[in-house]
Amino acid sequence: MKGKYWAKFLAIITVLAMLAGACGDDDDEVSGEGFTFGMILVGPQNDRGWSQAHYEAGEYLQEQLGATMIVLDKVNGADRPEITVDQVVDDMVAQGAQLIFATSDDMKDGIELGAANHPDVPMVWSSGDSAWADGEGYRADLDNLGNEMGRMYYAKQIAGCAAGLTTETGNIGYLGPLINDETRRLANSVYLGAQYCWSEVRGEDPAALTFSVNWIGFWFNIPGVTLDPTQVANDFFDGGADVVISGIDTTEALVVAGQRSDGGDAVWAVPYDYEGACEEKPEICLGVPYFNWGPAYLEVTKSVIKGEFAAEWNWFGPDWDDLNSLNTSGVGFVEGDGLSDDSATALEEFIDGLAGGDIVLFTGPLNYQDGTPYLTDGEVASDHQLWYTKQLLEGMIGASASN
Amino acid sequence: MEELATIIATASPLVYAVVGETITEKAGVINLSLDGSIMLSAMAAFATSFITGSVWLGFLAAILVSAGIAALIAFSSIKLHLNQIAVGFVLTLLAADLASFLGDPYVGERAAHVEPWAIPGLSKIPVIGDVLFDHNLSVYGSYLVVIAAYWFIFRTKRGLELQGVGERPEAAFARGIPVNRLRYIYTIIGGGLVGMAGAAFSLDVKLGWRDGLTQNFGWIALAIVIFGGWHPIRGAIGCYLFGALQTLALKLQPVWPDLSQILPILPFALMIFTLLLVYLDWFRRLGDRHPGWRRLLASDPPSGIGRIFKRE
Repeated sequence: MKGKYWAKFLAIITVLAMLAGACGDDDDEVSGEGFTFGMILVGPQNDRGWSQAHYEAGEYLQEQLGATMIVLDKVNGADRPEITVDQVVDDMVAQGAQLIFATSDDMKDGIELGAANHPDVPMVWSSGDSAWADGEGYRADLDNLGNEMGRMYYAKQIAGCAAGLTTETGNIGYLGPLINDETRRLANSVYLGAQYCWSEVRGEDPAALTFSVNWIGFWFNIPGVTLDPTQVANDFFDGGADVVISGIDTTEALVVAGQRSDGGDAVWAVPYDYEGACEEKPEICLGVPYFNWGPAYLEVTKSVIKGEFAAEWNWFGPDWDDLNSLNTSGVGFVEGDGLSDDSATALEEFIDGLAGGDIVLFTGPLNYQDGTPYLTDGEVASDHQLWYTKQLLEGMIGASASN
Repeated sequence: MEELATIIATASPLVYAVVGETITEKAGVINLSLDGSIMLSAMAAFATSFITGSVWLGFLAAILVSAGIAALIAFSSIKLHLNQIAVGFVLTLLAADLASFLGDPYVGERAAHVEPWAIPGLSKIPVIGDVLFDHNLSVYGSYLVVIAAYWFIFRTKRGLELQGVGERPEAAFARGIPVNRLRYIYTIIGGGLVGMAGAAFSLDVKLGWRDGLTQNFGWIALAIVIFGGWHPIRGAIGCYLFGALQTLALKLQPVWPDLSQILPILPFALMIFTLLLVYLDWFRRLGDRHPGWRRLLASDPPSGIGRIFKRE
């Protein structure tokens, strides 16, 4: 009998020990003290856009883990023609970086070369597809290079809806960066959101909505290299648009709309990329779709610290229960003061529809701009169809391709 | 018509810079620091406006900053006999980096800016009213600066002295004109106008401050001065032409979608091409064949430009 009790006692102790062991693996106990990571930014770290969002994700890692960040901003051919991304990688590895984030689509060649040169150092190429086995850019040989990207198309649909609910002229402009699969996907998302809320929510004639896209040529203004976004935004308003939605990293659309508004025009804008972007002119800002890279980067960093890093392609989405939670939602949308109360209510219903799956805008029939089918009747876009968007959609005005 | 109004408004900072540099070069001094000067003065204007809430103090700060840089160039040339091109180039790099460093706390902030103000009466004139007189004081100032510079350079005795200093400094000196003193004065005045260009960018056209806000506009201004044949009105036309080319580039995007990544650089390339064109022999012969066109097409630099004047 005594032996039986002992056996039971030992079993309980064993279970408790296992539980304790499991708890010991809990993420909260991962410490980044002494851990160094590199952050390569394409624009200025305080651009109130894409690069600042990444920089703040780096600060989030420091705060959550106690890790140390090495950062280099403005890594692009115009600002720093003398350096390449792979050189920055070499330098960061020499400084002790144990994980490196390359945070622009534009850094493809450099980070792939850097990853090949330093196979023992885990790296992340944000917005890339090198670790996606089904992707067109899959690099099976680079098992130290993962990809992180947010499903921004949801937030862009929300932005489009806000514009569709607000426009009085039925004329919306989209200030695009350069032309590629990602930017076409996002422009299409905005268009679908605007078209849905213009026609389905407001009951307006779908054909009466004008949606124009103009691409400046890069993610932010480089005089002599890109079109001037200030001029493009002005041109949209001159052409009759009353809402301009930004797809670039900086806030020219909002600034120009603000100037026009100060002059008495009824115009609005939607900036992009940075949670606080509306602050430059809140009263005419309809809201801002933004990335929150912190949670995804935290998971990657923890996996590296624990020695469990695997090169994966992670297309993370919003936390529909709390769209603007900095700890859980990788994609967010902050409503702006420029939204009327009625529009805000309608927008929240739209967001609920997206969250619940009642509204799936990338559902066929949808044609590309040249009339070729993108999605057949009832077909819901797969990740592959969404990621590799080859044209703007039928009904949109603007260039789909570039040389 | 709204597009024309936008071209006029967005070209106004370049007009200030081109007129300022024209005056400086007319006096025989090259201020090559324009790109950095505009950047630093744009930052100074915005920061001052942010701190004080006054647009006018912002413009004043920009003028002082850029005039200070111009004074450095004049001093290094006249007193230290240093090469103006080298000093200007170094200063442009220094000023741009300084703007980036000092401007960091003001990125994305809101500050007082130039308010729209349609000129009563004039703004109601059909077509012209909308294009020219429905802007703000910064834009109207650019018109005044062009007219004033033209009148001063070509219609006054002081303007004649200015041209003499830039064309034949020795002869001007022999006539009792204080060559170097005037070079100081006009370089500083020109620099002040370049500062106004910076303020017009950050407090009006490209409202706000961020790193690289006015990048490359200084180089374009320098090119337009040459394109404009060191004439303020032709220079201003060059600025509006540049603005029109930028608008054209974006209007052509839907027409030639395949060229959408190339079109943005066209205005810059076209300005440089035009610059080459006006220097071609056949273009000059065209001016010789039609004397009436000669004045319109002339693009000869002041003879004494860049030359250090030493009193023997």
